[in-house]
Amino acid sequence: MHIQDGVLSPVVCAATGAIALGAVSYSVHRLKQSVADRTIPLTGMMAALVFAGQMVNFPIGAPVSGHLLGGVLAAAVVGPWAGCVAMTLVLFVQWALFSDGGLFSLGANVLHMAVIGSWGGHAVRLFVQRFIGDSHKGIVIGSVIAAWASVMAAAALFCLEFRMSWPPSEIDFSKVFTLMVSFHSLIGLGEALITGIAISFVLNQRPELVADAASVRQADASCVGHGSAITSTLVAGLVFALAVAAFLSPFASSFDDGLESALSQMGIADFNLTGRVPGVLEGYEKVPVPIAAWQTFAVSIAGIGGTLAVFVLAWLLGKALPAATPNLNSEAAGE
Amino acid sequence: MCHRWPPLAKLFAAIAMILAATCVPIAHGPLVGIVACVIFFAHTLARIPLAYVARRLLFFWPPLFLMAISLPLSQAGQKGWLMFMTILVRGTLSFSTALWLVNVMPFDQLLATLRRLRVPDVLLAILSLMYRFLFVLWDELDRMRTARAARLFRKPSLWATWRSAAHLLGRLLIRALDRADRIHGAMLARGWDGRSRWIEQPREDRP
Repeated sequence: MHIQDGVLSPVVCAATGAIALGAVSYSVHRLKQSVADRTIPLTGMMAALVFAGQMVNFPIGAPVSGHLLGGVLAAAVVGPWAGCVAMTLVLFVQWALFSDGGLFSLGANVLHMAVIGSWGGHAVRLFVQRFIGDSHKGIVIGSVIAAWASVMAAAALFCLEFRMSWPPSEIDFSKVFTLMVSFHSLIGLGEALITGIAISFVLNQRPELVADAASVRQADASCVGHGSAITSTLVAGLVFALAVAAFLSPFASSFDDGLESALSQMGIADFNLTGRVPGVLEGYEKVPVPIAAWQTFAVSIAGIGGTLAVFVLAWLLGKALPAATPNLNSEAAGE
Repeated sequence: MCHRWPPLAKLFAAIAMILAATCVPIAHGPLVGIVACVIFFAHTLARIPLAYVARRLLFFWPPLFLMAISLPLSQAGQKGWLMFMTILVRGTLSFSTALWLVNVMPFDQLLATLRRLRVPDVLLAILSLMYRFLFVLWDELDRMRTARAARLFRKPSLWATWRSAAHLLGRLLIRALDRADRIHGAMLARGWDGRSRWIEQPREDRP
């Protein structure tokens, strides 16, 4: 699951690094805000636990075994902000102690496993719990769905990053993506199963350890105000959308090949999409042009980036508009 | 002798080598060779045993290979193999550089360096706690595994293995959180007020 250095291009590494840095700084900021003197030992222990927990083997076949990733589990116990920080430190120590993963791809790894795993997983869990209720059943079902969705969302992001890292001319990404997505859906199922069993075990033994969803909502509401329920729904929706996009990405990349050929049959492609000069040379079709490179992954960006843009827009609108219904929890917390 | 370099120099040397390894285009064979030579030279300078590096590489290659091989398999042309080689070479070079850094830079030195680079104190406090208790939890996990193995008479079914492994994880979680509570109590007893304090490292690192 770790991305090694050299798989992604430096530009993509820089971009994901910047996003991850922003997200982790925000988590640290929230952690400082909520700082009880207990936070630091608890978060440190959680990070150590995730690290040690990844040593527990889950056999699949004879030589192959899976292990926990842990973002959703960490968020369930210590909350999304501390969970994100703990997962980030786990990934950093894995690089610094064992050279697992890479230095420049640390940003991408943090984005996939810490940010999506903890923030996204937490949001998805709360979202699901809104329908099932805050009973133990609701928490377990929520975590299972959250674990699966967060892995699939990470897979979608990885496909996008991989696509942007390599020159898309002449390369058929659809098979690569199909392989990656099917591989990740196995990882996702494993993660969902492990997280679900572990959380239901903890709920059976020591239910007070799992962060109570109602109190989390209250704490969120007291910090952010009315927006938090909307924000968590939006984040959950975003993770779901990315998870769906993961399954569509192989089709999307074969689709844009299809689109290109359809356009060139219609004679439009020569005009303004690919930057080819019409009718100058027959053999010119074979030469990759930089603008043509843009066109080929435009569809992938349209798929995932479009979803992102819609959610950012919706979030901004939600910020601007007053909340339609007063939130009971926030009133209770405001006292 | 690399061990005695100033910590910042070691960190930046490693970053520079990884940057070189990931940015040099594979088509420029000699350049890649030069980078590889520099990294190899750094390894010999630090007296890192070759057998150790080879063993680590043996565990490192299979996942990277699986990822990289999907490229030439999905397209017939030479392009796929070029990308395959690029990923393998870049991955191997940056992995060996990271391995070099791990071996010449003890973790506490890395922490002190990060602190000099103004990484937030909260992060460093959590990081040092994590590093301290990581090995404690490993030992705990080892004891729990031994206990489980001692109670098993035959090989359980796959589902039972998964279930017991996840229960092991849950039990470890409960124990870890209890331990965090005890640590917190001990920290409070020693005057912990939520702010981390550091003993200033001496300017000169150990001779």
